[in-house]
Amino acid sequence: MAPQELLLNYLPIVVFLVIATGLACVMVLASFIAAKQKPDAEKLSAYECGFEPFGDARSKFDVRFYLVSILFIIFDLEIAFLFPWAVTLGSIGLYGFWSMMVFLGVLTIGFIYEWRKGALDWE
Amino acid sequence: MVTAGKRNWLPISKPTRPTGKERQQTMIESLFFYVLSGVLVLSALMVISAQNPVHAVLFLILAFFNAAGLFVLLGAEFLAMILVIVYVGAVAVLFLFVVMMLDINFAELRRGMGRYLPLSGLVGTVMLVEFFWIFSKWTSDTAAVAPHMRHAPLEVSNTHALGQVLYTHYAYIFQLSGLILLVAMIGAITLTLRHRPNVRRQEVSRQVDRHPKDVLRVEKINSGEGVS
Amino acid sequence: MTMIGPTHFLFLSAILFTLGVFGIFLNRRNVIVILMSIELILLSVTINMVAFSSLHGDLTGQVFSMFILTVAAAEAAIGLAILVAFFRNKSTIAIEDISTLKG
Repeated sequence: MAPQELLLNYLPIVVFLVIATGLACVMVLASFIAAKQKPDAEKLSAYECGFEPFGDARSKFDVRFYLVSILFIIFDLEIAFLFPWAVTLGSIGLYGFWSMMVFLGVLTIGFIYEWRKGALDWE
Repeated sequence: MVTAGKRNWLPISKPTRPTGKERQQTMIESLFFYVLSGVLVLSALMVISAQNPVHAVLFLILAFFNAAGLFVLLGAEFLAMILVIVYVGAVAVLFLFVVMMLDINFAELRRGMGRYLPLSGLVGTVMLVEFFWIFSKWTSDTAAVAPHMRHAPLEVSNTHALGQVLYTHYAYIFQLSGLILLVAMIGAITLTLRHRPNVRRQEVSRQVDRHPKDVLRVEKINSGEGVS
Repeated sequence: MTMIGPTHFLFLSAILFTLGVFGIFLNRRNVIVILMSIELILLSVTINMVAFSSLHGDLTGQVFSMFILTVAAAEAAIGLAILVAFFRNKSTIAIEDISTLKG
């Protein structure tokens, strides 16, 4: 495929991005222009049901969420490697097939390890 | 003049006068390049200078999106999509998790930031000048590298072309990346997993193992007597 | 307007690389931003590789970019896991407190 032809395939995405960005800008600007702005100290301060807000909006949460997202990354990459394999399976022969099977086997060892360690259980 | 599958800025043997349409296409392409790389550099600048680390992560996401656009411009479609999926979908989320999870006073961490500014400015400038000096002088000897190249087949898509070399010609490195992923998985588990004591957990095997015969008793109760 | 050539991409990746190194100097107390700067440096290298791959019509650069992506993801996962474990023990991520191994 010629490069220009290839880039032409992405025209809808560009159109979509331009419209989305334009729409977002128009909405923010329109509300900025159309609305009446009379700020004072009370309006600008953070409102938390009558009292001064205490603490940060960020709150600590359990490290298990983090562990799940790490395991997600690993398997995300595994899937990323599976895509070209699935597309070319017909032409890379047995060697390519078994190459991927070994790769999957190695990651399955990791999967069994995390299962046995209880990383997937919720306490 | 454009060879299929290769970029149109390949060394062209005989210069031809570009037609109006071609000139227009080149102009659009360079317009996209400058917009994408401009936003990329600006957002990279914001990543390293943002006050709030959450903003830094969001600018990192913007930078990755623009880099994906540049990859599409270079013809590496598959890599662009993987960049969006892996980086934006996973790595940036991981960074966000950690920023939210650790309860840190980030303003305190920025104390004394300006102390090394002169030194870092000097190092950065020297590095940039060196890079620019090299890159404005380089030439590529295509004939010398030709024997080692894996040419992209012209008639198939980028994903297909990648798949044809990734699992056969680069099989060992591919297995190595599998091992790296395994190490990352095991390392992350051993580093962060702590079992809390006194937590009652669901044990599926015990639940499934449980048989009605062992735990249930059917009794015939005569009226007025009750169960002993 | 000139054609966009490989040199343009090389200049871009040089700027990104320098920004990444600069970021490590600038935020030398905050480990999270340092890790993000490392991601920027890896991204600049990837851009460089894809640019050359595209120049030669050669797939090696793109294949290795995929491996760079893998290594970068693994590095981010392990690095942040170390950070989390460290924070749990010391309640800080300032880099000068991470000096127990210093001789």
